[in-house]
Amino acid sequence: MAEQLIGVDIAPPDLVAKVTGRAKYAEDFRAEGMVFAKLLISPMPHARVRRIDARRALAMEGVVGILTADDITPVDAPGEACLTMEPLYQGEPILAIAAVDETTAANAIEAVNVDLQPLPFALDPLQSLRPGGADARTEGNTYVRTQESRDFQSLKWPRSVFDDAPPGTLPMGEPQTEWTIGDVDAGFADAAVVIEETLSHQSLTHHPMEPRSTMAYWQNGKLYIHTSTQSVARTQAAIAAQMDLELDDVVLIGEYCGGGFGSKITGSPIMLVPAFFSRKLGRPVMMRINRYEEHYVGRARPGFQAWTKMGFRSDGRMTALDLYIVQDHGPYGLSGDHNSAASTASLTYQPENMRFRGVTVYTNTPPRAAQRAPGGGAIVAMLEPLIDKAARELGVDRVDIRMINAPADNEAWMGANQRPLTSNFVRRAIRIGADQFDWAAKRQLSGQRQGTKATGVGIGVSPYSGGSSGFDGLIVIRPDGRLYIHQGIGNLGTHSFADTARVAAEILGMNWRDCQVIWGDTSQHLPWSSVQAGSQTTHAHTRANHAAAMDALAKLQQIAAMDLGGSPSDYMVDEGRVFRRANRSRGLSFARAAERAIELGGRFDGHELPEDIHVMTVGSATGLAGQGLMGVAKDNYGGEGAIQSWVVGFARVEVDVETGHVELKEYLGSADCGVVLHPRSLAAQIHGGAIQGFGMARSQKWVMDPKWGAGFANRFYTARPPGILDVPLEMDWVAVGEPDPQSPVGARGIGEPPLGAGAAAITSAIADALGGQCLCRTPLTTDVILAALEGREQPFSILDAHV
Amino acid sequence: MDFWRRAPNPWSQDVLLGVSWDLMWAAAIAGVAFIVAHALWSKVRAGPGEDGGGAPGSPGSGAGASGLAARVLRHSLTSRLFHWVMAASMLVLLVTAFFPVLGLRFDWVSVHWIAGVVLLATIVFHVVHSTVVRNWRTIWIDGSDVREGTAELKHFITGQGHPPGKTGKYATANKAFHHAAVVVGLGAIVTGVLMMFRIDTVFWAANPYILGDGMWGVVYVVHGLCGVALITMTAAHVYFAVRPDKWWLTRSMIKGWITREEYLTHHDPQKWAPEVGEGATGASAGSAADPAAVA
Amino acid sequence: MAVIRDMIPAFELFQPTTLQDALALLAEYGDEGWALAGGLDSFDWFKDRVKRPTAVVDLAGIESLRGVRPWGDGIEIGAMTTLTDVIENEDVQSRYGLLREAASHVATPQIRNAGTLGGNLCQDTRCWYYRSGWPCYRAGGNTCYASAREAMNREHCVMGARRCVAVNPSDVAPALIALDAQMVIAGRRGERVVDAEDFFIGPAIDITRMTVLKPGEVLTSVRIPPDYAGATFYFEKVRDRQSWDFALAAVATAMVTSGGNIQRARVAVNGVAPYPVRLENVERVVAGRPVSEETAEAGGAVATDGAKPLRHNDYKVALLENLVRRSLRGTEA
Ligand SMILES: Cc1cc2nc3c(=O)[nH]c(=O)nc-3n(C[C@H](O)[C@H](O)[C@H](O)COP(=O)(O)OP(=O)(O)OC[C@H]3O[C@@H](n4cnc5c(N)ncnc54)[C@H](O)[C@@H]3O)c2cc1C
Repeated sequence: MAEQLIGVDIAPPDLVAKVTGRAKYAEDFRAEGMVFAKLLISPMPHARVRRIDARRALAMEGVVGILTADDITPVDAPGEACLTMEPLYQGEPILAIAAVDETTAANAIEAVNVDLQPLPFALDPLQSLRPGGADARTEGNTYVRTQESRDFQSLKWPRSVFDDAPPGTLPMGEPQTEWTIGDVDAGFADAAVVIEETLSHQSLTHHPMEPRSTMAYWQNGKLYIHTSTQSVARTQAAIAAQMDLELDDVVLIGEYCGGGFGSKITGSPIMLVPAFFSRKLGRPVMMRINRYEEHYVGRARPGFQAWTKMGFRSDGRMTALDLYIVQDHGPYGLSGDHNSAASTASLTYQPENMRFRGVTVYTNTPPRAAQRAPGGGAIVAMLEPLIDKAARELGVDRVDIRMINAPADNEAWMGANQRPLTSNFVRRAIRIGADQFDWAAKRQLSGQRQGTKATGVGIGVSPYSGGSSGFDGLIVIRPDGRLYIHQGIGNLGTHSFADTARVAAEILGMNWRDCQVIWGDTSQHLPWSSVQAGSQTTHAHTRANHAAAMDALAKLQQIAAMDLGGSPSDYMVDEGRVFRRANRSRGLSFARAAERAIELGGRFDGHELPEDIHVMTVGSATGLAGQGLMGVAKDNYGGEGAIQSWVVGFARVEVDVETGHVELKEYLGSADCGVVLHPRSLAAQIHGGAIQGFGMARSQKWVMDPKWGAGFANRFYTARPPGILDVPLEMDWVAVGEPDPQSPVGARGIGEPPLGAGAAAITSAIADALGGQCLCRTPLTTDVILAALEGREQPFSILDAHV
Repeated sequence: MDFWRRAPNPWSQDVLLGVSWDLMWAAAIAGVAFIVAHALWSKVRAGPGEDGGGAPGSPGSGAGASGLAARVLRHSLTSRLFHWVMAASMLVLLVTAFFPVLGLRFDWVSVHWIAGVVLLATIVFHVVHSTVVRNWRTIWIDGSDVREGTAELKHFITGQGHPPGKTGKYATANKAFHHAAVVVGLGAIVTGVLMMFRIDTVFWAANPYILGDGMWGVVYVVHGLCGVALITMTAAHVYFAVRPDKWWLTRSMIKGWITREEYLTHHDPQKWAPEVGEGATGASAGSAADPAAVA
Repeated sequence: MAVIRDMIPAFELFQPTTLQDALALLAEYGDEGWALAGGLDSFDWFKDRVKRPTAVVDLAGIESLRGVRPWGDGIEIGAMTTLTDVIENEDVQSRYGLLREAASHVATPQIRNAGTLGGNLCQDTRCWYYRSGWPCYRAGGNTCYASAREAMNREHCVMGARRCVAVNPSDVAPALIALDAQMVIAGRRGERVVDAEDFFIGPAIDITRMTVLKPGEVLTSVRIPPDYAGATFYFEKVRDRQSWDFALAAVATAMVTSGGNIQRARVAVNGVAPYPVRLENVERVVAGRPVSEETAEAGGAVATDGAKPLRHNDYKVALLENLVRRSLRGTEA
């Protein structure tokens, strides 16, 4: 029997390269005649470039050229180009200069004179909404999409909206988005307890370990680009679209990616600078992005200024949820974190009635993008302590109140369009998590004091989208008898490029050592794939590889039946052979089957392809045709409903009441993500995501000077992602492991939900240690906690942004 | 030598920070050079054994000398107090401003601004006092001063023309110095008061943003220019105060009076009719304030 | 001029092996010279091109500046001794646990492996306005951006401010003040020794420098007398993250007790003023009193005398008071 490949720990194939340093990331590549580019970034949060004088720079020895916004393909607003003549945030790239070495390029940048005309700027959405408040963009401060039109708008609320809001309470003018399920007022009338709070959540940069460096060159009209990206197939497509090229004319190499967290889903605009620049210069161009630049061009999670009102019946059931979110949008694009936040809240608590209102406002701050559990992670971290507050007031256990509100099955609803789910076992995740954490005993510790340390325990329930479907699988069994699994997804350190490949190996009964995953280089014939984001990959590509493997299996069986008699269904596979069920010795090796497939041609070796696969897969399969027995298919397994995974976090903290210091003593994450594909990588996600959540809940944020619109959290040590000493010694996990019945493999994605679980478990535990006092803001830094403990003025008002 | 200190502001715009401290040295050198040149030239003009200040006339040559006491009140106690308080605060201001630049480190800021406030107060007093109580015109340059002054200067430098004649209460040079002091002092004070908005004082909390960067640069440059000018002017002033031929004036600033002889030697009673007294104190000097006495 | 960060421009590197050579080089280059120790502060400045020396004098090759040796009944630690070596030294561990504690709270193991005692004491402030290369007072300009009404000054000072409101970031400094250490300074004109508490200066005295070191001078060693060896020590640092983070406030206390009474105590704090502050009023209040909660209360109560928080750092007043109180309870952190 071939080894078991699903549900066991197997080191990914890139492990050795990574730990030995042989893995090559984008900035490790060199090419003949390569030059280095450096960026000139805007010192102002909003300005117009009046004049660029680069004569001195261009006259420097070793400088080879300059790239400005005039040299690139323009992008329609509110989209973002890689260079601009109207920077909309401090740090936005204006031009690049290339030189034979990086130091010369940097020195040349210093010699450029850019005459900038400062323009009005807005950092705080609420300030921009005030009458007379500045708009972040010359066109307005928000973008409205309706059925009839889409356009910018300068949205201002009447002064009375602000005057009528008591200090520390969110002013709520006319929203841009609004939906209602049921009748919230009736819900509140029904409630035994009503909780109402203003909430805030600060923006924070993604800060993956690897900054987004890129090297690009052109050969025979083709663009070769080495970049740091989460997805491969989809990034190739994105680059082709943005550079007006045919898909075939872009070769993307991105075997390794040092993290993205949503900031490099299909790369990011800045990767196009070397692409345009190398085309202009006719030489390879490398542009390494440093940590400082990464803070600016590296994307960030939008901040929220929010308000909620929740009603609960005496048994803890949520009768109504009213939510208002003002989202800090940054200067570009269309970000929907606030909408995701609302639908995540609706899914988590299944309120009997709900209203959501939201406004998203452009600001002159670095651009936003999805960040691990966008919207969802932030909202559960904000709302979970309030659920505790209700539980306390009602005398309901905090686990019980979550059980009663969490959806019982897949008949749950979510968001304005009230979709059901493919499957859902969150209540089991809560239960087994509570058991393993020993909630019954731990909750007794709540509020206990030892010296100056007060204990708090907390829970965070965090759902997030866990998959997509409809992508292609592409595998080849070659005459060497090995299985080659082509993966168009990326490798950002999650193992999923290998874990999802094992599904094909398992179906074909192969040992892992006889399989090779091909990934990270679009010249290697990759299939059309999902973006490596939104926790889609595990679900999408277990299915796609399943489909391709089933196709290959059928072909193996057909060849065997053809050569050895009987019908295809008489044959099965194992250990690299296809043989008769009744008689193991009557069969063919895969090597032989591959040879036969090549002889047979047609659909066996990829000369004939299914009609429903994506053009990209057609191209790749055509390139591989004739090399062996090909399995190629689109995931047509279908399915009904939203695909959602869950993690329930349990945390115990100690808060020092004299210093505000919080020590996280233990953490457990309990997951409902379908079949466990790879326990060790699941643990890495549950823990890693939680740690990122700890950072969001405790220390990570932006700090910007309001007078100059300048950011200070532009280094690791000022941005403060958590360090290893901020992680509890005891970290544990558990998973429900119930397959998703709508997927042949039964696995759902797990990238996002751990973040919200980690963050919410801590905000809930801290509130518990403070005797139920909810500070309603993230991050909950030491000063905020201490000021509350000491009854002193908070360092910042709850509605202050970027502080 | 640099004239300005400039730096990029947070938006990388090149802005003025203030004058270069090279100017401090330039001012000091200019002061010393002036003193040396003046002293030497005075010697040369006067010939051996004599000081060059020269007496403009002899006692008794003027009219209205009769009825004068032995001592003529030149500076009332109030005026003297004003002068010395102002001088002290000015000295403190200069020391607190420039010694730290020279490398002598101490907590200078509070002393500096407090001295500045004292100076401002004395000046306000002085302005009120000299316009309401005294006659401000005695120190104001008029047409004849200009003529006289040019002639004197010409005489001093070339030896031609006539030597300085008898003057009103203040000689043209005094008046010129005072005018310069008014301009430079006001410049320093107005900018100094503005600069106080940048630090926490008893009056208000710091706010560096009441003016824009560019404007602040101008404020600092004006303050700096006035400051260094005051180095030169103070040097020159002290020099004249200690010159033997001006000692009678310095004494009057200490004790209040000049002798009858000095009065008659240096002043034209037509232009300045002092009140009569024994080195008197606190004179309201009503008669001196009579414009007719000056005219 | 456009701004480049995270890229060190070229400079000339000197690697003298004797102190004399180092001093001569520093004298020769004057304002253009820079003494380099572990580089953890220095390289930050160079990388951001905010400070651009043309000549860097690396002190690492000077053997005499390294190591811990006896000094009378106390010890003398060479300025170029790494923080890790300080932490691991037996004498430091057994007799000057306060220094060990303080040093082991610095940043991260990697930084402590490279960072030196001298560098830690001489390091510049981390005020982000100043570090951003803005023309503030400390940078020779005429503005304190951090004290403006709208400024982000949560991490700035609550005492000792004069125009500049930055804080001294060293964790080791307050411990050395509490241990009554002395700093040995070498210059072209010879050697001078100053008390630890006088080594650090505030903006009132010199707004552009953190210590009494004049350009061209080198801190050669730190001498710790036996007076507080083996005393009751307390060090605590509060920060936003548990590694790689500077103190929001830190306290270092050394108490000599006998029969349950505090004979004498030295208390120093950092992260709250532009220089590490010795709290003599606290020392006076607790001297002669029994080790007790009441004494701790009394000490804590005067710790923040004269404190004046900025708009966003009022919490530091409470934090400081609490830390000082805790440090006087006679229990280890
Ligand atoms: C991210 C980060 C976090 C940090 N966190 C902390 C912290 O939490 N607590 C803490 O205390 N420190 C912290 N540090 C500071 C660090 O621990 C070093 O101590 C410090 O940066 C300087 O030590 P160094 O040996 O690297 O000196 P360098 O960086 O080489 O020198 C620092 C300065 O001192 C001068 N200098 C050095 N040695 C001498 C000498 N012998 N004589 C005269 N001048 C000298 C240099 O010219 C330079 O100006 C942190 C640093 C970083 C980069």
